[in-house]
Amino acid sequence: MEGLQTDNLLLDVRGLSKHFGGIKAVEDVTFGIIRGSIISMIGPNGAGKSTFINVVSGVYTPDAGEVHLEGEDVAGLPAHAMASKRLSRTFQLEELFSSLTVLENVMVGCHTCSSSGVLSCGFSIPFARKEEKKLRDEAMECLREVGLEERADDTISQLPLGERKLVGIARALAMKPKLLMLDEPAGGLAAHEVERLVKLIYALREQGLTLFIVEHNMPFVMSLSERIVVLDEGKKIAEGTPDEVRSNERVIKAYLGEEVA
Amino acid sequence: MKAISKTSIVWLFLIAAIIVIPFVSGSYVIGVMCFVAVFGTLGVGMGVLNEQAGIFSLAHPTWFGLGAYVSGILAVQGATPPWLGSIIGAIFVAILSVLIGAPLLRLRGYYLACATFGLLLVVEISLAQLGSLTGGHEGLMGIPPLSMFGFTFETDLHYYYLSWGLCLACLWFLHNLMGSRVGRAVKAFSDSEVAASSMGINVPAFKLKVFVLTAVMASLAGSLYTFYLRFTQPGIFGFPLLVELMTMLIIGGGRTLYGPLLGSFVVLWLREFIHMYLGKLLPRMTAEVDAIFFGILIIVILIFMPGGLAGWVDKLLGLNRRALGRASD
Repeated sequence: MEGLQTDNLLLDVRGLSKHFGGIKAVEDVTFGIIRGSIISMIGPNGAGKSTFINVVSGVYTPDAGEVHLEGEDVAGLPAHAMASKRLSRTFQLEELFSSLTVLENVMVGCHTCSSSGVLSCGFSIPFARKEEKKLRDEAMECLREVGLEERADDTISQLPLGERKLVGIARALAMKPKLLMLDEPAGGLAAHEVERLVKLIYALREQGLTLFIVEHNMPFVMSLSERIVVLDEGKKIAEGTPDEVRSNERVIKAYLGEEVA
Repeated sequence: MKAISKTSIVWLFLIAAIIVIPFVSGSYVIGVMCFVAVFGTLGVGMGVLNEQAGIFSLAHPTWFGLGAYVSGILAVQGATPPWLGSIIGAIFVAILSVLIGAPLLRLRGYYLACATFGLLLVVEISLAQLGSLTGGHEGLMGIPPLSMFGFTFETDLHYYYLSWGLCLACLWFLHNLMGSRVGRAVKAFSDSEVAASSMGINVPAFKLKVFVLTAVMASLAGSLYTFYLRFTQPGIFGFPLLVELMTMLIIGGGRTLYGPLLGSFVVLWLREFIHMYLGKLLPRMTAEVDAIFFGILIIVILIFMPGGLAGWVDKLLGLNRRALGRASD
């Protein structure tokens, strides 16, 4: 069974657990992400969604379980090693670099695709200058992708929240990801900003990118996702298409509550 | 594009001024300007390390002192020519800073400051106690002047060009570096370590690189300093120098690259003026007046120019829009 799946599976999470002292933030979570799909994770506050993304992206080391990226077990690698395997992510609170411009933020995303070191940069040898120009063009291309090329030279503090989220996505795209993990991309956005985001996500999907989205905004998740994983108190309580999840008893009980009932 | 042309004008102006100054001034000015360059080199490295990379290390005078002592001892004992001793000193400091930085840089903020301050004290005391090698408290005497390929650096003017050459070379190197892939990575982890590592930046490795690089620059400045003075003493590399560098960073502005150099210039010349005029007026009080004056100046600068003189000048010229952007953080 596994042999069949691994061809299609980009990311395969098996029995992943993360505990903080006595708190089981993520407990024995298993599911797969199929190449080229959009899969979302939902769950009430404190269900362990952000912890899950932090474990998969290497910010936390898991206490148990495996994370296979194209068949290779990458669980427990540090975040920078995960990034160089082209697992890329955004943050719930953006975590943009405030001392850099918008373009430079995205250029940091190109870090793994470039190689100039301290000496070649310091002495400004032709290779470093050429690479710098290449990175600038690539980063500009990513900014164009999210529609922020005119904001390139602005500082982060000059941007509204919606555009900051987009910079975060552009920065993640600059890593040329195999899998893009978005941590609450629609959190705090106005309706028209959410619309812009949905269009962008569809455009990325068209290009064959695989997306994993952790989100609170229900209409957003239901309209976008091909599959949804539901987390509650660290455990996976349901998985399926939006319709299956919507009608699942346990999900209604745990999360959707009156709204759906 | 506009900012780049302004930057190159500043560079041209700086280089021209440095070349012209010896022709229009006397040996006194040249002597002070040597110190401006040496402490400027030290300050610029410390500014990058402390303010731009956010690595709050207080060990900078230590690398300066070790560079001075290693090259000084090798020269006194005639083991190597002074120029080679300077390079050996830099290599020694590089190795030591890797060995010490690798564990210490896991600490952050005040903890790192405490640990590196400990290092500062340990090295100062060790230099004083290793009498047979270092000359103990009295210091290392009889250091020969720097010589290279048959040319001996003897006069203040020789050291003036040498020290400014080193200073501008370090400034140029760091200017290139901070505007490049590496510099962006450094600024990125100082803003958010978790985001930087999620972008594929190996944060501990980059921290170590910046730490070692600025330590080596400090070591080279230390070697030059010791050959200029032809004397060195443990007390030079202790707490007072740290305070001096901090003063330069605050007054000049450590967030910009050239700020600490400007700070070095302003602090050293202000001190010269205080000593020149107050020395006659209050012959016994100069040291106290000096301390009170700089204490008040630091407070005034922190209140009215939190970015230091350089931050203020940048805002005035619109050179650095980031300084404006930061104000609202």
